[in-house]
Amino acid sequence: MERRSFIKKGALWSAGTFMLNNIPVNLLAGSQQLQWLAATADTDRVLVLIQLHGGNDGLNTVIPISQYAQYYNMRPNLAIPDNGLRKYITLDSTLPGANQVGLHPDMAGLKALYDQGKMSIVQGVSYENSGQSHFRSRDIWYMGGNYNQYLGSGWMGRYLDTMYPDFPDAYPNSQMPDPPGLEIGNGVSLAFHRDHGIPTSISIDNPNQFYDLIKSVGGDPPAEIADTHYGKELEYIIGMEKNSDKYAERLKQVFDRGSNSPGVTYPEKYPFNAPVGSLRNPLSSQLKLVARLLSGGIKTKIFLAKIGGFDTHAQQVESTNPSMGKHAALLYHISSAVKAFQDDLQALGLEDRVITATFSEFGRRPQSNASFGTDHGTAAPMFIFGKNVQPGVVGANPDLSTLLGSNLPEQHDYRQVFTSLLQDGLGASNEAMTKTNFGDYLDKKLPLINNNKIITGDLSFTDQRFRLHNCYPNPVKGSTTFSFFINAPAHTTLRIYDTGGRMVHEVINGQRDAGANEVVTDLSLLAPGSYVYRIEAGLLKATKTLMKQ
Amino acid sequence: MASLDPVSGALGQKAAAHLLRRTTFGPRKQDIDQFATLTADQAIGQLLQAQPQPQPPPVPPPNADREVDDGLMQEYFRGWAVDQMRISGLSALEKLTFFLHTHFTTIRQVVDKSKALYYQNVLLRSYALGNLKTLAQKISIDNAMLILLDGRLNEAGAPNENYAREFLELYTIGKGPQTSADNFTNYTESDIREAARVLSGYEYDETYANLDPETGLPIGILNVGRHDSGTKQFSSAFGNRNIAPNALQGKQATPAAALDELNQLVTMIFDQPETARHLCRKIYRFFVFYDITAEIEQDIIVPLSEVLQNNNYEIRAVLEMLWKSKHFYDLDNGVKTDDNRGGIIKSPLDLVLGTLRFFQVPLPASSNLIAFYESTYKDGLLAMMEDQGMLFYDPYDVAGYDAYHQAPAYNRNWISANFLARRYQFATLLMQGKNKNGGELGFQLDIVLYVKNPQNITDASNPQLMVQEFIDNLLPEIISQERFDYFLNDLLLDNLSVINWQLEWNNYLNNGDDTAVRGQLEKLMKAILQSPEYQLF
Repeated sequence: MERRSFIKKGALWSAGTFMLNNIPVNLLAGSQQLQWLAATADTDRVLVLIQLHGGNDGLNTVIPISQYAQYYNMRPNLAIPDNGLRKYITLDSTLPGANQVGLHPDMAGLKALYDQGKMSIVQGVSYENSGQSHFRSRDIWYMGGNYNQYLGSGWMGRYLDTMYPDFPDAYPNSQMPDPPGLEIGNGVSLAFHRDHGIPTSISIDNPNQFYDLIKSVGGDPPAEIADTHYGKELEYIIGMEKNSDKYAERLKQVFDRGSNSPGVTYPEKYPFNAPVGSLRNPLSSQLKLVARLLSGGIKTKIFLAKIGGFDTHAQQVESTNPSMGKHAALLYHISSAVKAFQDDLQALGLEDRVITATFSEFGRRPQSNASFGTDHGTAAPMFIFGKNVQPGVVGANPDLSTLLGSNLPEQHDYRQVFTSLLQDGLGASNEAMTKTNFGDYLDKKLPLINNNKIITGDLSFTDQRFRLHNCYPNPVKGSTTFSFFINAPAHTTLRIYDTGGRMVHEVINGQRDAGANEVVTDLSLLAPGSYVYRIEAGLLKATKTLMKQ
Repeated sequence: MASLDPVSGALGQKAAAHLLRRTTFGPRKQDIDQFATLTADQAIGQLLQAQPQPQPPPVPPPNADREVDDGLMQEYFRGWAVDQMRISGLSALEKLTFFLHTHFTTIRQVVDKSKALYYQNVLLRSYALGNLKTLAQKISIDNAMLILLDGRLNEAGAPNENYAREFLELYTIGKGPQTSADNFTNYTESDIREAARVLSGYEYDETYANLDPETGLPIGILNVGRHDSGTKQFSSAFGNRNIAPNALQGKQATPAAALDELNQLVTMIFDQPETARHLCRKIYRFFVFYDITAEIEQDIIVPLSEVLQNNNYEIRAVLEMLWKSKHFYDLDNGVKTDDNRGGIIKSPLDLVLGTLRFFQVPLPASSNLIAFYESTYKDGLLAMMEDQGMLFYDPYDVAGYDAYHQAPAYNRNWISANFLARRYQFATLLMQGKNKNGGELGFQLDIVLYVKNPQNITDASNPQLMVQEFIDNLLPEIISQERFDYFLNDLLLDNLSVINWQLEWNNYLNNGDDTAVRGQLEKLMKAILQSPEYQLF
């Protein structure tokens, strides 16, 4: 019976939960497979997945600038404004028109990551016949199947199976002393949901307490197990107990050995007004833990973190200000936590190893409802982060005039994204991908990873988007023209300093548009000599010299 | 072949224990002994007797240490609700009330109103032995539900489909195989939208003054102007049926006509055999086992669902048939591999209450409100359950606690390394009378006093008999001789002789110094309560 194997395999999907630093950590693993991949070359890359639970509203996360009027008309009570202090953040004016997007104004952290060449957006991710049931859709994303498939295992489990055959019996071992996957979160995945960081049974400063707890309870398990339903459940519990014993000590060691970078502060709260329950950042402690475990040398391959609250049928935004409210706080949490995580990894020297991606069971309906919310939809963007990411926006804005039913059409299958990340990012072979059930997507990969960047160092992405040119003429007699390029509107200062560091002239101090900017300045009053001029415009911070004759 | 044929004769110890564990919050030894002599008819007749509604939860008294606000009222409500289960005796009523809460669920943090939560709890208890179809209609305009799933925001012209979707997907017919983007076999996306139109216009009544004439309980208020009075057209899944108001005032449906539309919607959905099957699967998973094979579907679910439909959705008919059946007691075939006894992982609620009830642990008097509702429940039992993975009345999803719906793991969702360790730790804390931070619980399990009472343990000076009685009454299945010897010799006797135990026990009876026997008894109890076997029932 298919259902039987369904349960058998599913059970192995998550094989244990730990509490580390106040956060339950759940082991992911899979059943036995051939030992074929052990021999193949392995990268030390890891994948960090962030699940946005409830169905994230893609259109208010990544705003379709090229279709703004239509976007606004479909959700006038919800649309992120295109003017004023809380307008969307233009991602990148150098993108083709149809790809022009804005980020929610509370996602400045992601804008910075993008400008550093560490972020890609994949537009319109879904699957064929995307359904609007949370539960079914979430299962599909986890299982890695079609809308009409009922698979008995998850794709992460299957992939890890290919990497670590004979789990859990042959593990831990010297090659793989850690659980192949770790689920981190306040309410752990399919298994262990809770809302907003409640499991506070272990003090946040004392991650070793879990180890102590594990060591303080339990006894000998029974040796004989009957072949009944009772026996199967008993076996499951005993397996869980064994796994806790196996990994508790190692995780404690790794945690103690590791550290976060002292220069990086992880965000704790949304700094603006939002409903009380939305203020605390539930993601940052999870990512902070991942960074610390990585710095401690953990060899886990896939980490799964979670943030809930995206099922915004009502009061998604404040009725008086569509850029504020519950959803804004959630997006801020993601943006600020991921930015801190990425900075931490960079400072820890771990940036080359980590690829991070967000996903959600579905997007939401383009048309808003009267409750200042959105109902279940289909396709939505995914974010990919990391030093090895090929920065950009993959896919155009959805065409809001040709909806499918009342929903957004799919541009990319979610398995195309995960196949690209596993193969190009983690180095999974074709065979591993086939066993993961993603074989059909090997020739449909997306340009999300650029492995050449680590070898050659690729700054051209940023250079193409932020440039301060030489002023002309230089040497200067009377007037000269300063020119620069920025990829989004920014508050800009351009100032001239003498060799003693004193500012002698302010050329620009104000908002400047995206694109090429030029300003002609009369410097005839400037004493002859050598000067520097410095620009600060968003990510662009550059200094050049000029000679006054 | 699985069979719903009834069992006959006296239940006997094993069957009585099984029935009581699954249908109540756990028996005492005396209860098992008593039920062992009853027939299934007698036993189930007793379990399904109607019970009066309990007094509502008290209002928290003022106290300088903390603020009395609705958040604290909600804590009192949660403690009160669990305590109803704890004191519910040999009745299935509270277990059924809890079952309905796992189905027609709520989330305290979203509803955030103690009164709305309380009245919904009363509604569920009122229908715990009653009619599921009527309950489905009543809960649709229940105040807590109108808040939880945004029904109060659902209005003509701008439908909010949240409730309509979950009403179909979770509460009634359930989703079948998805055949296209908007077709779940049993209903379509368009049915969700049309159902939302039927349900439009009901608002949360913060005065709780608008009462349902049938139940006397507060319900939401229809704002006629917000109700969609047009004709709602359902898909072929429902025979292309139309629902429209039967009386208009101007262009608007009258309140009676809107309510009639809701009744038509419920009737339309409950006329589908799949609705009865979906509900019977939920009942089966809660009371029997989570894995519904093709055989179980055919032999158990389908006939049960016919009984449910033929009895116009009176749940009692189904419960009686299921709980009396040979299948329930693993007596329908000679095959052991499909035996269900012991196959459910206890919820934290079942674990905590089952232990308290079995050992008759005395809690502080409920008249001492702060001690009872705050130390014993809020910071004690409810916090322990939360550590074990059950935030009571606050499931993470609108589908309720994972264990009751999340395939493929179902009850296994209660077990993670951390949750399991906390379950085991519960036994230690219970005997220490402490919470995990070292604070006083205000009650504890005194195992020496327990075994001393011959109503609990026939003869505490006889260690073999004592261990046997514990095993028989606490664990769901017989254990191997080796396992028995482990509990007896390694733990209770410390590998000394039986005679030594008799001496120690008699010394205690003679001089009142229980140090020696307490240490050994606590070791034994911890080992049993911290065993994988005890996590199951």
